[in-house]
Amino acid sequence: MAGLRVRHRRTVALDSVDLDLGPGVHGLLGPNGAGKTSLIRVLATVAAPTGGRVELLGDDVRDRRHRSAVRRRLGYLPQEFGYYPGFTVREFVAYVAWLKEMPAAQVPAAVERAVERVGLAERVDAKVKTLSGGMVRRVGIAQAIVNEPDVLLLDEPTAGLDPEQRVEFRALLRELGTATTVVVSTHLVEDVAAACTEVTLVEAGRIAYRGTPPALAELGESAGGAGDNPIERGYTAALRTHRAAALEEAALEEVAR
Amino acid sequence: MTALLGARTATPLAGPLLYARSRAVPRALVVLLASAGLAVWAAHGLDAYVDPSRRVPVVALTPLFTSAVIGTSLYTASDELDRTAVRPWWRLRAVHLLTLSALTAGLLSLAVLGHPSVFGPPAMVRNTLGTTGLTAAAAALLGARLSWLPAFAYVSAVYVGAASAHGRLVTVWAWPMQPDGGAGAWAAAAAFVVGGGLYVVRGARP
Repeated sequence: MAGLRVRHRRTVALDSVDLDLGPGVHGLLGPNGAGKTSLIRVLATVAAPTGGRVELLGDDVRDRRHRSAVRRRLGYLPQEFGYYPGFTVREFVAYVAWLKEMPAAQVPAAVERAVERVGLAERVDAKVKTLSGGMVRRVGIAQAIVNEPDVLLLDEPTAGLDPEQRVEFRALLRELGTATTVVVSTHLVEDVAAACTEVTLVEAGRIAYRGTPPALAELGESAGGAGDNPIERGYTAALRTHRAAALEEAALEEVAR
Repeated sequence: MTALLGARTATPLAGPLLYARSRAVPRALVVLLASAGLAVWAAHGLDAYVDPSRRVPVVALTPLFTSAVIGTSLYTASDELDRTAVRPWWRLRAVHLLTLSALTAGLLSLAVLGHPSVFGPPAMVRNTLGTTGLTAAAAALLGARLSWLPAFAYVSAVYVGAASAHGRLVTVWAWPMQPDGGAGAWAAAAAFVVGGGLYVVRGARP
């Protein structure tokens, strides 16, 4: 994406974002309201950007025909996804597969596979409404991977998962990231440290930092950020640096006027 | 059960059945059938063979209720995921709305057979389509869960005020209370086409 800009009424959610993502697991970190969800929603083709250009899998998503082709190869877990109370896990995942226009003959096996990968094989015929919050989240992940997507977008996927489930989920992320471009928006820096090949820090609608998790940890050690572990220290140090640079830029603009 | 089997064994109807269940269409069908039965019972109890105009409450109010049932069936619990669908939504929405509207109009007409020119089947079809059009437009603009509200307000106002209203345009704006087709039928048809079209293109507001 180049020069991506997203506005919500008077608020600028994303401003001049340039980002190039390839296969691997990309962690999106940032404070609340930084623009992570706006970025994921644009990539998921749910929201249209106000400006800039977004290409996914080589196609410009503004074109309707290209958008359909992209959606076939896209998996998306929204921050809050509603589910249909009467549906079982199998039915919900199969329904999303149908919406993605997967060939009908492939759907039952794809559903079984996706549900098994998120560890819900034993609950596949349970009603979604009877599951715990963490299990519902895993149903959400199952629907996102049912079409074996080339681009997988996950907005706060580990919210509600217990520690053991999170460890298993990180392993799944690492496995998916070998062949897929996975973008994970999260507040949990330990998820990024454990599962991501690259980290992008978003602050006030702009990219504040890009690098690998070890490089972010190293920044924390060298710049002396606050936090309980190296990656947290890196996160706070990168934020601090970005905010200082933004203040300096604003001051220079003021002087120029 | 059929949908469950469909999800397990790849039948061509599995997807459409899951779509129907996602919109609670089976429940809506049961309520629509019950409403039609109630309308038949009510129309029979009004002794309309003495005076067909006694069927006014049935012709004006039953379509209002059934349009609310259709309107709430347009709700989706998973709007964010729906927006990433490859399948074109406009076809599903059009089939959904047209099927329920046609079925309801047909069923409700059975309640007022005979004397077609005085609150008979043409008036019932007109009112069913008109109120459903208003509800569909409200689903697109306000959201499906509140979609019944504008039609309820409009038809209630017309029901109360039409008798004392005068003027050339009364037959148009007071279409829910007109005994036959006429100009009111065009107004109701316009409401159905515009409201239905708005919903088919935009979908229900979350």
